[in-house]
Amino acid sequence: MSNQSFDESNILETKLQDKITQKQISKRVPDFDQNQVADEELHKLLLPDVRDLPLIPPSSIETNFVSYFAPDFIKPGHDQYVYRHANGLCVIGLAPTHVAFKDGGGITAVDFNVGKSDRSGIKVTGKRKKNAQHFESNTALCKVCTQDAFYIVRCCVKGSLLEVNDKLIKQPELLNSSADREGYIAIIMPKPADWLKVKASLLSLEEYKKMREGS
Amino acid sequence: MSSESEAADVNSYTAFGGEDMQLFRDAVRSLPSHVVKDLLSIGVCMRCIFRLFGMHGHVYSCSSPSSLVMCAILGEPSCPEEHMAVSSLKGDEDKKDPSSSDDSEVEPEICSICLGILQFIYYDAKGMLVKKRSAISLALSISEQIKKEGNQLDSFSLEVSIPPVIQENEHNIHLYMKRKYRSELWFEERLSKCISTKEALKFAMANLLEKVLDVKSGPSSCRIRLTYAQTKPSSMVPNLAAGGEGCKRRKTVANPGFDSVNNKLVDASNECFDFSTTNRNALGESSTNGLEDHESSECIIFPKDKVNEPCHLVFLYYRTPIYIGGRYLKFSRNVSQTRWIIDDERMGEASVEEIIGGNILPACHGDSYKFHAAGREDIDVRMLGSGRPFLVEIQNARQVPSEALVKEIETKINNLNTKLVAVKNLKMVANEGWTLMHEGEAEKQKQYCALVWISRPLEDQDLQSIASLKDLQILQKTPIRVLHRRSPLEREKIIHWMKIETIAESSQYFLLHLCTQAGTYIKEFVHGDLGRTCPSIGSILGCRAEILQLDVTDVKMDCFLVE
Repeated sequence: MSNQSFDESNILETKLQDKITQKQISKRVPDFDQNQVADEELHKLLLPDVRDLPLIPPSSIETNFVSYFAPDFIKPGHDQYVYRHANGLCVIGLAPTHVAFKDGGGITAVDFNVGKSDRSGIKVTGKRKKNAQHFESNTALCKVCTQDAFYIVRCCVKGSLLEVNDKLIKQPELLNSSADREGYIAIIMPKPADWLKVKASLLSLEEYKKMREGS
Repeated sequence: MSSESEAADVNSYTAFGGEDMQLFRDAVRSLPSHVVKDLLSIGVCMRCIFRLFGMHGHVYSCSSPSSLVMCAILGEPSCPEEHMAVSSLKGDEDKKDPSSSDDSEVEPEICSICLGILQFIYYDAKGMLVKKRSAISLALSISEQIKKEGNQLDSFSLEVSIPPVIQENEHNIHLYMKRKYRSELWFEERLSKCISTKEALKFAMANLLEKVLDVKSGPSSCRIRLTYAQTKPSSMVPNLAAGGEGCKRRKTVANPGFDSVNNKLVDASNECFDFSTTNRNALGESSTNGLEDHESSECIIFPKDKVNEPCHLVFLYYRTPIYIGGRYLKFSRNVSQTRWIIDDERMGEASVEEIIGGNILPACHGDSYKFHAAGREDIDVRMLGSGRPFLVEIQNARQVPSEALVKEIETKINNLNTKLVAVKNLKMVANEGWTLMHEGEAEKQKQYCALVWISRPLEDQDLQSIASLKDLQILQKTPIRVLHRRSPLEREKIIHWMKIETIAESSQYFLLHLCTQAGTYIKEFVHGDLGRTCPSIGSILGCRAEILQLDVTDVKMDCFLVE
């Protein structure tokens, strides 16, 4: 990094200048020059080469997660996704081919009060994730309602429920606009052994696309 | 060290052997002689006698004279005739090897109070019995060990640790003396000035070590630690609860940054030091930690069959940690801040701590290093601009690097041909460096530059709407990428200012410059983390936003800014 030698030679120059022109030139100017040079050097590093940039970059989901799909989960048409992060956490949500999206008017409401408890009420605390409920893959997470019907969304993955997307309660339309991102349903933390078991029954993105070709 | 060369060294350091002898003689004669003889007869060594009577200073460094001379000093008529020589009476002790072992008849073999500590008798690290018999000899031995490792000292601080049984022994002697000499004139005044075995040992050793090492003693980061421990209980034994506590206390010597050194020490002394701090004497009467007087009972203070075992001496020299601080820059997107290994595989190609610490440690000839930094950045984030403050803590440095050497290290790191990391303003800092770095960490602002892509072309309006947001408050749920190891919380953070810099050839890519509160997750602020960070760049601009690259351009802290 040439910054350092640049700085040092600038300091020398500065000292010399000061001696020569004590009264006339304010001391601020040489310091400013020095900073400016450093900033320009920095800026050169920051600016990317546009030729290296892809037209459309991969999304944060593509970069940070591996996408899996569970087609016809328990019931036909109930297609769900599982995004798995490198740290083991799984984001659960409705896949685009889920039968709920086929109803006219889309999804109108989301209710987390299913099974024995209201999933949106659980408070998980601490690094050890105290109070997290342990669910099986077929445990109900919530029900999504359309004009005509309602559908149960399930965990898909056995593990501890860390969080549900409670925004969906007030903004169920998130599922219609971006079910694959802001409309996620929940985050689950499976044990490594449990993940390996369920992974075998999930489809990769490619496999899922093929299966649902034309739907 | 052969006894000849040792004797020669000893002689060279005690050129004033004659003065020493005078000092010793005067000291002995200043004490009531019947008491001295009495104490010697019950097994108390001369130096313990000196300290019972509150003597200070140089007298402890004097070598023990031979028994002949001792007799002469004491005016004892019943000395072995064959050693009677006029020259000895004149105190020509410097001609004779001071470590001669003739004095077993006058002074006890092993003192019943100090167990040989003040006689410089001990078991060494290998379990061999060592009888130095003079302070200077021990001092030379210590100095040899220190210099062997190439240590450079500018001063030293002497620390001594002795087993509690010595305190008990002393208490017993006090009782004995009280009983016998309570009525005598000198008793009250002199015995109250008794100084401890530790102090006496320090008197004996400190000024000699100063001479031998050629540096001053006093508060210092260079520590010479002498730890005496019992090899086995001096009499029978139960391990009372109090004893257990004593052990625990010793194990948790709290000395920050002292780990490896401490472990060595604790291991060595724990091997011998598992025994009680109280003991029962032959009559089965227990003396207590509270040191009560058993005035009423006829207890035998010194059972005749009591064997005094010398102590095990563990000698340790260490230096308290030194700190070298500065600022680092990271130019690579494949270098982590600290060593990062998962399943035996290293993540990234190198780490900042290894590059910096690995170059400082050898220059100091230290045992190990610890790397501390004011915050951290991800492996794929560059650290540019003024750099991030850091401290490298070196344990047990044998040499403290000079300013010039530190400059050399800085140049060396900056000229590594991999050019992954650079350092600025590298210099030794005092212990305050630590607090300086962590002071007000939460308030510190950081400045970043992110390469952002949005799902629609950038408009002029966007530059304005972004630039107009000052001290924007955002709410971040714990990002999913760290949620596995951090608490699920919602954190309020502040984005102080933002500025979009357009990129000429692109309508959807731009550089986002921003300054935020410490602890803000920038990546999540750009892409929104599935809506869990709110607002986000995407939500502000009403489209999808992705972050491709992130650089830290300024860590706004005052420390380590100047050389």
